Amino acid sequence: MLRFLGLRLARAALTIGLVVTFAFVVLRLSGDPALMIMSPEAPAEAIAAFRHAWGLDQPIWAQYLRYFGAILHGELGQSMRDGRPAIQLVAERIPATLAITLPALLVKVGLGIPAGIHAALHRDSLTDRIVMAGAVAGFTVPSFVLGLLLVLLFAVQLGWLPSGGQESWRSAILPVITLGLGGAGILARFTRSAMLEVLGQPYIRTASAKGVPWRAVVRGHALPNAAIPTVTVVGFMVGSLIAGAVVVESVFSWPGVGRLLVVAVANRDLAVVQCILLLVAATMVLSNLIVDLLYGVLDPRLRSQAAAGAH
Amino acid sequence: MSRISRRQALALGAAAALPRIAIAQGDDRPTITIAVQRIANSNTLDSLREQSNVGERTSLMFNERLIDLDYRGNLAQVPSLATAWRRIDDTTVELKLRPGVKFHNGDDFTAEDVAFSFGPARMFGETRPVVNGQTLPVAFSAIVGQGAKKVPDEIPPVARRLWPGLDRVDIVDRHTVRFVNATPDVTLEGRLSALGSEIVNRRAYEAAPTWLDYARKPVGTGPYRIREFRPDTLLVLDAHDAYWGGRPPIRTLRLVEVPEVSSRINGLLSGEYQFACDIPPDQIVAVERNPAFEIQGGTILNHRITTFDKHHPQLRDPRVRLAFAHAMDRQAIIDGLWAGRTRVPAGMQWEFFGDMFVKGWTAPEFDPAKARQLLKDAGYKGDPIPYRLLNNYYTNQLPTSQVLVEMWRQVGLNVEITMKENWTQIRDRSSPRGVRDWSAGATFNDPVGSIVSGFGPNGAAQQAGEYDNAEFSQLCVVLETSADRARRHAAFARMLAIAEREDPAYTILHQNAAFTAKRKDIKWKAAPSFAMDFRASNFSL
Repeated sequence: MLRFLGLRLARAALTIGLVVTFAFVVLRLSGDPALMIMSPEAPAEAIAAFRHAWGLDQPIWAQYLRYFGAILHGELGQSMRDGRPAIQLVAERIPATLAITLPALLVKVGLGIPAGIHAALHRDSLTDRIVMAGAVAGFTVPSFVLGLLLVLLFAVQLGWLPSGGQESWRSAILPVITLGLGGAGILARFTRSAMLEVLGQPYIRTASAKGVPWRAVVRGHALPNAAIPTVTVVGFMVGSLIAGAVVVESVFSWPGVGRLLVVAVANRDLAVVQCILLLVAATMVLSNLIVDLLYGVLDPRLRSQAAAGAH
Repeated sequence: MSRISRRQALALGAAAALPRIAIAQGDDRPTITIAVQRIANSNTLDSLREQSNVGERTSLMFNERLIDLDYRGNLAQVPSLATAWRRIDDTTVELKLRPGVKFHNGDDFTAEDVAFSFGPARMFGETRPVVNGQTLPVAFSAIVGQGAKKVPDEIPPVARRLWPGLDRVDIVDRHTVRFVNATPDVTLEGRLSALGSEIVNRRAYEAAPTWLDYARKPVGTGPYRIREFRPDTLLVLDAHDAYWGGRPPIRTLRLVEVPEVSSRINGLLSGEYQFACDIPPDQIVAVERNPAFEIQGGTILNHRITTFDKHHPQLRDPRVRLAFAHAMDRQAIIDGLWAGRTRVPAGMQWEFFGDMFVKGWTAPEFDPAKARQLLKDAGYKGDPIPYRLLNNYYTNQLPTSQVLVEMWRQVGLNVEITMKENWTQIRDRSSPRGVRDWSAGATFNDPVGSIVSGFGPNGAAQQAGEYDNAEFSQLCVVLETSADRARRHAAFARMLAIAEREDPAYTILHQNAAFTAKRKDIKWKAAPSFAMDFRASNFSL
């Protein structure tokens, strides 16, 4: 088990290192932060002074070594636009993002999984077709289109909800629905497929033939076996809690990490972008690790394989 | 011992609450919310750091200059914190300061604040004016007022671009100052009315722990004072009731950052915002379809231009560059993409230049036959010319460029669009540059603030190696240092002829325009500028 964990952690560290390196190289080669932040019309002396102040006049490898060294010391750098530590800026935005992504995750799980199960148990029925049509619509309609449609209906036409901003809890409703519906559609599709596959297995027929009540068959045999692909997808969704709302935050002017990321990328505010990417990578890696551990809980065969591998 | 009954206690409580309710009820001024695409590019509200269109929009809400512009008229200079001014000589302007003006922190506005605002601690650092190529010696031993903080290194160069020759500000008395330039300069009054010449409160500036602390919450004399600034998100201003220009008509002014156009318009239509800025021309009809809303705005002090790199092999011959200019049907672009709401300007100049405006000068006429002849005379064989382009950095940039490429193709010019992501890539010299988009604004009412700062020896075009012309550069010096108005006018006319006809540095496309959507029942007029005026004389419900 320790070896299993150690391998996973080493892989996680490598992934994060690669993400940070890739982001650094791409951002630094694709634009000069001094021109972005100072404006192209700024005097040459002002741009030179800015570059010098932030070490941008150094060779890129020197900048990278300095940056990576700082990360190893736990320093994620300062925002060039804001002057404050990047981690502080990002930390300020996380609650706002979680305020919509966490409820949206509940919507995804609370709506998507039951809908997928129901559709699978009533395969080819009218409800199955309705659920699947809704699911396909949910994940194929881009979130900015869905968001704008919801705004047109509930804010502009009916006047029930705010169209954007972060004025009150009511402002979060439309972003949560927009995020939630798309994810629920994906989960419903995955859950239905997984359930259909499991329901066709011989052990389901055996359990039914033995006289086990259908509800018990579903609860005791079908659901646990169908859970693995569903848990994998939910794991990805948990991993994207921090930066999975970039588009929705822009549409609804929601001041979260996604908005900060867009502005930071546009201005080549390197420290902020890298801090967010580091956080996203860490969240994703952690979420995958938890999912891997959950596999063992859900499926004893995987647990014994892992144990055998450890010996 | 006397006892207070429950009824008496309730009565006392109600009596204590009465004045507060009365005050609250007495202030029936509205809270107004304005949706903008961007509040500040630099995440600060210091006008020397935020030298941008969005900085111009917000600055006059809380800051003021000594000389203002007539935003509801022809942008003529009008008194503001200075009530009068006069020329002492070619290098000196004396200004009488307005008495009775209060800063947001309650301080009186005095000559000390003016001298400090234009001093080394806030503006110039250790830089000195340049006279005849020589930098004047440092006249001060320490930067007074800097304290524990230091202006960012990029501020002094910005200040020196705006005030290249300012030597010092002399305090004559508590309400009189003299601006003394190191060289003759007839544009001092214009520079005083430009973004960057705002007056700051000396005490508040010195008391701020860091420059950034002040830049996030500057203390000015404007009609509204800053309550809260959340970068990239929100700016909240409260009425400055001691404002010398009359009680502000809005109790709280909120600017919210809404990057998406559709979200700004939806928020306006649903009643969350009373104003939505930065509306593209193709949305004007959609907004005005609802009779409760209207679009305000129009042309502003900014022209869209197409700039040439004259060192590109195909563009070395000025006739090829002039062919570009004659192949452009500017009016068709204005009619098709701007709903006719802007115009073709008379070259890189604006009427508010006053006596420096060159009457009779025009943009090159649309004449495809002439363009073809010019290309033939120049021996252009159809070799490709790169056109580096950003995706709608300017309003309508992409559709305009596509139309232009077709217009140029009609006369035989082979222009190839290359999409770029940012200005670094636009300016990159490692591969050949051909034509690119740009805009030129008038920072004040003299061509020094536009054609010289854009294309002169210290302008971005020459510094980027796109343009040079010895005569043009000489004339820039005349414009910057001559006090002979007739000579300056002749120099400017000649510069237009060189840069727009004989050896084109750029060609004019159209005047830029800015549009703001608003509730129709709000009485408010947009200025021919990015600045938004919410003083009592320009707002009522």
